Amino acid sequence: MAATTITTTMHPVPVDAFPTLTSTTQAETEKVLREHMPTADKPPTLQKNPHLQFLIRNFTQGMPSRYMSYDASQPWLLFWTLQAFSVLQIGMDPDTKQRAIDMLLECQHPDGGFGGGPKQAPHLLPTYAAVCALAIVGRPGQNGGWDSIDRKKMYNFFMSLKQPDGSFLVSQHSEVDTRGIYCLLVVATLLDIITPELVEGTAHFIASCQTYEGGFSSTSQPYYSADPSPANLLPFPRPALGEAHGGYTFCGLASWVMLQPFLPSTSTTKPSIDKNKLVRWLVQMQGVQAEMGGFKGRTNKLVDGCYSWWVGGAFGLLDSIGINPTSVATPEADGADWVDVDDSLFNRKALQEYILCAGQHPAGGLRDKPPKHADAYHTLYCLSGLSAAQHKLSPSSSRRKQLADAWVQVGDNMELRQRIFLDSLCYSEEEGTDTVVGGAANRVNATHPIFNLTVTHTEAIMGHFYGQTIPQKTTRLS
Amino acid sequence: MTDKPPPPTPYSERPEWSDVTPLAQYEKANPLAPILYTEEYKDATGYLRAVVQSGEKSERVLQLTEHVIRLNPAHYSAWQYRYETVVALDWPLDVEMTLMDELADKFLKTYQVWHHRRLLIMCIGLSAAGRELGYIKQILAQDEKNYHTWSHRQWLLAFFNDEGLWAGELDFIDTMVNRDLRNNSAWHHRFFVVFQSGVREGEEDRERIVRRELVYVKQHISLAPNNASAWNYLRGLLDFNKLPLATITPFVKLYTAPLPAAAKDIVDVDNPPPGQGAELPCVAAVEFLADIREEERNVDEAETLWRSLADELDTIRKKYWEYRIAQARSV
Ligand SMILES: [Zn+2]
Repeated sequence: MAATTITTTMHPVPVDAFPTLTSTTQAETEKVLREHMPTADKPPTLQKNPHLQFLIRNFTQGMPSRYMSYDASQPWLLFWTLQAFSVLQIGMDPDTKQRAIDMLLECQHPDGGFGGGPKQAPHLLPTYAAVCALAIVGRPGQNGGWDSIDRKKMYNFFMSLKQPDGSFLVSQHSEVDTRGIYCLLVVATLLDIITPELVEGTAHFIASCQTYEGGFSSTSQPYYSADPSPANLLPFPRPALGEAHGGYTFCGLASWVMLQPFLPSTSTTKPSIDKNKLVRWLVQMQGVQAEMGGFKGRTNKLVDGCYSWWVGGAFGLLDSIGINPTSVATPEADGADWVDVDDSLFNRKALQEYILCAGQHPAGGLRDKPPKHADAYHTLYCLSGLSAAQHKLSPSSSRRKQLADAWVQVGDNMELRQRIFLDSLCYSEEEGTDTVVGGAANRVNATHPIFNLTVTHTEAIMGHFYGQTIPQKTTRLS
Repeated sequence: MTDKPPPPTPYSERPEWSDVTPLAQYEKANPLAPILYTEEYKDATGYLRAVVQSGEKSERVLQLTEHVIRLNPAHYSAWQYRYETVVALDWPLDVEMTLMDELADKFLKTYQVWHHRRLLIMCIGLSAAGRELGYIKQILAQDEKNYHTWSHRQWLLAFFNDEGLWAGELDFIDTMVNRDLRNNSAWHHRFFVVFQSGVREGEEDRERIVRRELVYVKQHISLAPNNASAWNYLRGLLDFNKLPLATITPFVKLYTAPLPAAAKDIVDVDNPPPGQGAELPCVAAVEFLADIREEERNVDEAETLWRSLADELDTIRKKYWEYRIAQARSV
């Protein structure tokens, strides 16, 4: 069994007889994790029931006052909880759905976009959370939520945040950061309001956030003078501000994928990223056996369950930028301890073990690492990470063809809109490629590698806004 | 336990606020996952919603937003409205900055405290920047890897791009790296300062700078070889300056074999040997050597090294090392 390999090859991360604060906190973490190592005789199980109870408790009893700082992130609390239900394969009753819809719509700002709560300023992050939550619980028609999203005002709100270097403020008088850009691009893609005007220069901005390590940072600096006018915009240098980071890397890479249809065709003006460096950085974020194969968010930081998605999930996007291990794979099969259908670049089994053995709080909910509390954020991103480690969704040419054949002409910019629609929805899972540690009962739903919604929810909302009927899948897809 | 001060008088009981009617949060919905607010917070945010709606910008709004921010520093709308009020009232920026010194220190993990400082500094101009570098240094002394603080520092340097501001950076980085040579934020900052933000006076001879940086990073690798931050810096430095990886083959090879029993007598600054406590072979060095061999088109030797990583030295990344082999073979 898998577990024995872990215990026999476990070495602490080397300290080189030169301890510093980093190595000391690292050693403390390894010590804690040692108590949670999987054992050969007891396969780890996903405690679905306690997690459900945890999520339901949040919904019905409310969030304890230590969540008060989430007052400005209420759509997030909903999204994390609703999407965690989806990953756990739990549907919602109509009353709960309606309450969620009504609540989210009160967070929509009269000038477009969604705020962190009612009567709060619109902001890109809660806008993503609200629209994705509506993708899960909403429907077309009156009171269904979807048709109450003011897409025209949303577009204007987005344009009002646009900066000369192609980036966007997250909100008025606020910072620029790649998370905000990811959020904007997801919403614009789902709602069919993404245009060349909206994203002009954005890919260049994203590319400028890649650091020398290979991952992406929060933002970059476009001006070399205290006079931030477009005339002072420099093509180079545009240094990344802040080091490569898991959250920003996921957002940067997913943005890069969504921006593909908009990249200029001439190579002189085409922005580029260093893909090999990116892959190297991603794989380096996986902790060794002493860290139970969890992911960290930055070099020389500690593993943390939420990076199971931000970094672990980022591997699911590599196919979309042309990195596909199977295309270079050698046929020789090794005598590994399980049937090797796994063509991933990271250790999917070890990540599942981290989530199952260290990420689960005994009282329900998931967490950063023991002995921390569970919270709504880590519950979702551990579960989404578990999903990314179990399932491999990749762009499928046959699914793409099915969608293209069913495409009907509605509206303007047909070619571009169709491409975005197909690019977004052609992900599917090849039969027999899932790898579930601990047995079939641990299986969770697949989640879309770009949006972190199930494929079903993504199809429903995009079908609605693009005016398309989604064709049945002819092969088994999740 | 320290005694908590009693909550202040609710706004609803303050005569100076009697002209304002607080606004409820939800009008129609019965919210899911409701947050169990404290009474104090509920009261203050009710008044905040009311003044935002009426557009009032006054001194009492500054007090109110400060109150809300202290209760919830992530309340970005309160920050936003506070900034607009500061501008509208022409409020003394030094007073605001003093308050921010306290709040940033208290809430240093929130985006907003740093962004508000940035907005103020842009209003004040260069004269605020020198002091700001000192303040950041003080914060980084307590929270060495704070992402916002480091990127704030980088923004400040690039935005003003003033020789005087840049002048102390290498010394500052030295202090941080000496405190913890595994602090990746400090290494990233070094890369930003040395390579990514233009060329400053006295640094025009780029070959000299590259040599200086090579010596610096190699010395740090020799102190603690299994330090991914230093190896990444080394890779970044060669890549940025378009130097082949093989530039440093003799150095790398010192770290790919087990530690020799006796240290060498001659100290070679270009190839500092591993210290006595080093745990060798070092995974990062083996990876580096494999990349050197690949660059030299010596795929066989590269494959041997990747194999040893996949099967022995770094088995968690087995898939990746095998991918590297397959990739090199397919060329
Ligand atoms: Zn986390």
